[in-house]
Amino acid sequence: MPVSPKQARTLKHRSWVAFLVVPPIVFMSLFVVYPILSAFAYAFYEWRGLARGEFIGLANFREVLFGATMGPVVWNAFLHNVYALVALMIIQNGGGFFLAWLLYKEPFGFRFHRVAVFVPVVLSTIIVGFLWKLFLNPNFGIVNQALYSVGLDSLAKPWLGDSSTALGALILANAWHFIGFPTLVYLAGMQRIPSEIVEAARLDGTTEWQLLKGIVWPLVAPSTTILFTLLFIGAFNWFEIPYVMVGLDGSPFGTTDVLGLVFYRTAFGNQSASIQNFGQGSALATLLFLFIVVFASMLTLWLRRREIQF
Amino acid sequence: MTTMTESAQPRPISFAFLAQIILIMNSFIMLYPVVVMVFSAFKTTGEIFEHPFALPDFTQVQNFARVLGETSMPTYFVNSIIVTGASIILILVLGTMAGYAVARYESRTNTFILLFFLAGLMLPLKLAVIPLFILLRDLNLLDSRWSLIVTYTAIGLPSAVFIMAGFLRSLPAELEDAARIDGASEPRIMWSVMLPLARPPMAIAAIQNAVPIWNDFFFPLVFIQTDSAKTLPQGLTTFMGEYTTDWGMLFAGLTIAAAPITLLYIALSRQFIQGMTAGAVK
Amino acid sequence: MRGLTMNLTRRMLMGVAMGGYLLSAGAAMAKTELTFWSWRQEDKTFYQDIIKKFQEKEPDISVKFETYAPENYQTILSTALAAGRGPDVIQARAYGNLESIATPGYLLALDKQNVPELANFPDSALAAETLRSDSKVYAVPFAMQAQLVVYNKKIFKDAGVNPPKTWDELMALCQALKAKNINPFSNGTATAWQNETIVGGLLSSMLGKQFEEDIVSGKANFTDPRFVNALTKLKDVSQYFAPNFTGVDYPSSQQLFVAGRAAMFAGGSYEVANFKNQNPTLDLGVFPAPVLKAGDEALIATYYDGGYAVNAKSDKKDAALKFVRFLATPEYGTAFTNTLKNLSPIKGIKIEDPITQEVAKLAEHSMSYLMLVRFRYQEPSGSVLLQSNVQKMLAGQQTPEQAAAEINKGVATYYKPFQK
Repeated sequence: MPVSPKQARTLKHRSWVAFLVVPPIVFMSLFVVYPILSAFAYAFYEWRGLARGEFIGLANFREVLFGATMGPVVWNAFLHNVYALVALMIIQNGGGFFLAWLLYKEPFGFRFHRVAVFVPVVLSTIIVGFLWKLFLNPNFGIVNQALYSVGLDSLAKPWLGDSSTALGALILANAWHFIGFPTLVYLAGMQRIPSEIVEAARLDGTTEWQLLKGIVWPLVAPSTTILFTLLFIGAFNWFEIPYVMVGLDGSPFGTTDVLGLVFYRTAFGNQSASIQNFGQGSALATLLFLFIVVFASMLTLWLRRREIQF
Repeated sequence: MTTMTESAQPRPISFAFLAQIILIMNSFIMLYPVVVMVFSAFKTTGEIFEHPFALPDFTQVQNFARVLGETSMPTYFVNSIIVTGASIILILVLGTMAGYAVARYESRTNTFILLFFLAGLMLPLKLAVIPLFILLRDLNLLDSRWSLIVTYTAIGLPSAVFIMAGFLRSLPAELEDAARIDGASEPRIMWSVMLPLARPPMAIAAIQNAVPIWNDFFFPLVFIQTDSAKTLPQGLTTFMGEYTTDWGMLFAGLTIAAAPITLLYIALSRQFIQGMTAGAVK
Repeated sequence: MRGLTMNLTRRMLMGVAMGGYLLSAGAAMAKTELTFWSWRQEDKTFYQDIIKKFQEKEPDISVKFETYAPENYQTILSTALAAGRGPDVIQARAYGNLESIATPGYLLALDKQNVPELANFPDSALAAETLRSDSKVYAVPFAMQAQLVVYNKKIFKDAGVNPPKTWDELMALCQALKAKNINPFSNGTATAWQNETIVGGLLSSMLGKQFEEDIVSGKANFTDPRFVNALTKLKDVSQYFAPNFTGVDYPSSQQLFVAGRAAMFAGGSYEVANFKNQNPTLDLGVFPAPVLKAGDEALIATYYDGGYAVNAKSDKKDAALKFVRFLATPEYGTAFTNTLKNLSPIKGIKIEDPITQEVAKLAEHSMSYLMLVRFRYQEPSGSVLLQSNVQKMLAGQQTPEQAAAEINKGVATYYKPFQK
């Protein structure tokens, strides 16, 4: 069939665009879309090791949410994820906002403090976890050693072994690791506030607190939205810090158990249980996944709307 | 910014003073654990237990020598470099391709393509690790560095597409048009005219992805079994398991594992901060 | 999209399969190379020596020994096996862990035909490597382990005390040591599974063989007074564990003992060799769990660690069987026991090491390491229940009665004899 020059051009043009677009899309389809869709499908089957068995409908979901064995474990872990989210929202994101406000004024040593607060962020979570595990060792770690050396013996504790402090210790280790991130995101947000607005407010004699509450906080709302969404996703995917610091069982007696650990134990087993259940693991992943997507989008929409109001 | 006018008034001085104290304390909390880690690496286990806060004898480097000499740490290190490097290259190549197409060519499918990658940005692939695991097994990639490279590329690609598309869209159309009038082909325009301008966003996309890839632990934990294919964070857990009671060795291992990225960060802190917060700062 | 990816997958698989075919055709010309997987990183030199000895007999077979971290071994192994890969010879675990890889047919069944050396083993050892559903043996057992108390002879001598026989003697001993400012036990409970080994090491004699029988037959369950009383005693003695014991993890408790900062360690017989490696000057002894009243039978808790199995999908089964048969000979058992200071279950071997001899003698009076041997087949496993509830009890968060009731409730969800 004869091809007109224009058609030839568009054909050539089209194949060029296709050449650009198709490989990335195929790649994403194969390694993201296909596994995620499969995860949904797998949850409806019974599994024997890595071999797929019978279609069993919602049985895996029922066991994960309400089963006598899995149900309590899952809800217990879920609660700990919620604790972590709330605590980190206050300590990590709230603390980050506060530090950003201090840095925003570019005080003496501004560059040093800015670099320092971000140092832990570039470290691997594994390094952070091991480091704090060693520091929190009840008899040899520097935390208790420091307390002993200043005479505060009564405050020294087996931090990771005491059910009243273990989860808190994990949360603080996480906050130490990541507080630099919200700090610098907020700082960037503040630095983009037109300086005339701040100047004008200052000339009007607004106090520091009014300035912060009435101008800075509303104007960095987009940062708040994105930081909260990231924290939300992170908190419900929490795995590395607990894994390294308290082990797969969420020791002591499940008081630090989180959904990430439950998922890993269920899907890949652990030494003391020997059972590996891909079906229930997939069901748990699917539920978590839906929870994250639904809540994260709702939150984003809600927080976005708030942004516009100001 | 406004410190000059402030310092004239009495109250903000105390505010600034308080702020300074808080910042110094904060920086101390951020850095001191790292300092203790490095100091402890120069001590024997006995010295760590007896004098945890003392300055070490910096000539005592036997812990480091042992970590580098008798463990697989150097192998883990090389693997991390290979995996991170290959993933970043793939992310940049594929991300630039898609980003360029979306940014520079009008098409009805553009919205669809962007939505497709946006979904990839939101979905935590961690939760699809079981099917990914089975897929990699079927592709015979399990327990190899490739299993990590393709996974990391899939995770990093969406953000790279957005960064590249966002930047490329901001370039003026006159650039292309001039080249087109000169008779340059589309690939040529992309390669010689547009891409040379796109180095800064590429650097951002690279750093934004390189740090999490370098530090990732979860996927190697599931995919990699052979010692010779392990990356640094996963290898570190093996190492920590082998030397559990030798704290000098443990701290030396942690120091060696932390050193490369920390030093790089200190040298290029501006680029690191810009790159890593790029996703959250618009 | 799905069809596309499936197609791609299939095509890539075909390519890989062709490659594999060419490779294996090439390898068949040369001598047979077996791969052998294990989680015993610390025994590498021993196995390499054994492989050398094997090659003196079978020069055409070479064996490549590869080890993996113990906590990931089971996952790694089942993954590889499910992928139709995996090693030719497998160091497998026992009981429930064995079932999870034997049930899907990944292992070759062993019998007196293909491995005549099975006759060298006592029945209890073979039972540990037998699948309950088809009563076939799937691995050649390699080690018997025991939970007991390891003690530092020098500290005992300096303090002028002797190993206790009864529980009261143990408590008095702990008090005496404490008065001399010596930590009686270095044990800690922060690592979950340590709680199970502590129970095995300290409480077995008070539970007794009859209790095990009653549990198996369903005459008793875990709310039985024998079990509750034993837990109460454990709670008592925990005041003599390491300082801050709820935060002391496994490595830290080993460290305390190895550094001579504590007199006793309740745990596995496998620790002895481990402690000696870290501190060769230690003079160690072992004793069984103390009895409630003088005259009761003193027991240790024993179980089989695992065995050597053959991959059912291996294309070198003959060579693999030859190697496994070698690992079932008294010659091998002797080397194993004397080098690794672990008890080989093979009959008629000569033990050189005095502590291993002691353990072997104690093993004549033993009960099962209960949760591992009987209750690791289903969820929630007895081990997980025991570990977390004892951990909770020792932290003072629940009473022994509550701990026993929780354990019982968990096991009863699947264990028929408890459901009556």
